[in-house]
Formats: sequence, C-alpha cells, structure tokens
Amino acid sequence: MLNWFKRRSQSSNSYQTNEEWISALKPPPDEEAIHQLRTYLVRGLKASLYKYVDRDLDDFVEDIAQDSVMKILDKYDTFRGDSKFTTWAMKVAVREGYSELRKKRYNDISLEQYSRYDPDEKDAVEIEHEQAGPDQLTHESMLVKKVMRIMEEELTDKQQKALQFLMIDQIPMTVVSEMMGSNRNAIYKLVHDARLKLKNRLEIEGIDPEEILNQM
Amino acid sequence: MNTAVLKMLISKIPHTHEDEIGCDDCFDELHKFAEMELKGKSPEKAMPLIQEHLDNCGECRQEYQALLEGMKELKEYS
Repeated sequence: MLNWFKRRSQSSNSYQTNEEWISALKPPPDEEAIHQLRTYLVRGLKASLYKYVDRDLDDFVEDIAQDSVMKILDKYDTFRGDSKFTTWAMKVAVREGYSELRKKRYNDISLEQYSRYDPDEKDAVEIEHEQAGPDQLTHESMLVKKVMRIMEEELTDKQQKALQFLMIDQIPMTVVSEMMGSNRNAIYKLVHDARLKLKNRLEIEGIDPEEILNQM
Repeated sequence: MNTAVLKMLISKIPHTHEDEIGCDDCFDELHKFAEMELKGKSPEKAMPLIQEHLDNCGECRQEYQALLEGMKELKEYS
C-alpha cells in the first residue's frame, strides 16, 4: 500500500534520477513512467531519425518508441547506472530505430537473390587483365594479382560471402547478419578476422599495404 | 572477389589489430561514451577502443551520431 501511495505521488512528477526511473519501471511498472519514457523517446527519435525517414516519420517513431519501451522494460535491470538512465534508454531506442530502418530499406532482398555468389566467378581484375595486352601487364598489376590470390587463399567462403554482401552489394551489416543467420557482432568479427588474416599474411610475404594501394 | 573488396580491406589494415572490440562491446559502453562527449569531456581518450570501433564500423558510428542528435534535442546535458 505504501508503495502504491509513493507511486501515486510520483505520478504527478517527472522522473529525474536513475533511481526514480528504475523504481518506477520495476514490475508492475508505473503507467505514468511508461508514458513519460515513451514521450521522451518519441522526441529524441524524431531528432535522431528525421534525416533517414522519407515519409510517415511520426508513425514510424511512435512504433519504434513503443517497441523500445518493451525492450527497456525487459532489460532495465542490465542498466549499470554509469550514465543517465534516459541516455541508456535512448541508446536502446536508436538501435531499435536504425535496425528497423535498415531492414525496411532492404526488405526486398532475399537470401536467394544473393546466394548466386559464385567463388569461381571471374573477378574484375582478371577480366581487366584479359582485356589488356601482354605488354600492359606491368609488375604493379602482378603484385595486385598476387595479393588477390592471397586474399582468396586466406579467407573462408563465409568471409568472402560476407564481404561480397557488405562491400560489393552494399547491404547493411544488420541485414547481412539476418541473411547469413548470424548477428551483427559476429559479422563484424568475421570481417575483422579477414582483415587480420590478410594483414598477417602480407607481413609474412613482406608486402607493404601502402604499396598495393598506390598501385590500385 | 574483386579489387574493390581488396582495396577496402587493405585500406583498413593499418587500423587492424588483435584487440579490436565488436559491436556488442561497443553498444554496452555507448551511452557512457555519449554522455562524456555531451558533457564536453574526451571520451576518445578515456575509451579508445570504443572510438576505434566507431571509426571502423559504419553502423555503430551512424547510431552513435543519431544518439548524440537525439540527446541534444532532449537537452539533458545543456
């Protein structure tokens, strides 16, 4: 009963401290706190997303704020108190908003469409060299070809596929992770591992990355 | 694979090392990083691994910029 009175009296106020927010969002959450949080996120999200939403910004932001509130209620206990609670909540909402935007933008792309990737397919440098006369195949292009070969030897099929999606097809990592049945963190790590492998191998081969870039 | 992919990978090699963090670790600290920046402190000095990840990861960087814009609108730190 005491808690109910405390919550009632708090309802007329805004939530200022982290403790007030956390206390109000504990189950059963205070409706006024949920309303205020939602209103707060809507305001912030409009400023965060307006550049990237072509139409129906208000509806989109309302939906994202609603979904974000649900996520926040689900994991508010992971908030460590190392910033204002509202900043942490806004971070969750921005992630939600951008994930949704990226998926919406690419929702016509199916995994089937992009599973046409063929590792044996001729790459641009090979085609370019086939078109060039023998005297045009300089020492520089041989180095690039060598590094291309190294890249194909070092990287797994999965890494090559992820790079194809990200760098050639320009598909956002959020979408690629769904297409590959993974998550964004794992895709980032996959690409990081590819960079690391290439770096280590170039060091072993004594090839300076700057020199390759100068020749491309 | 083609030379465009190679060029992008090679250009990131100078900034590639074993200890890089991923998107999850960055997300875990992003609110703290943003708060420092909004308070006029230097988060890139206090949390260099987060800054490095933001430099390397376009999606995390985009979300971070959006978070800053949202928080500026909300005037929490002004």
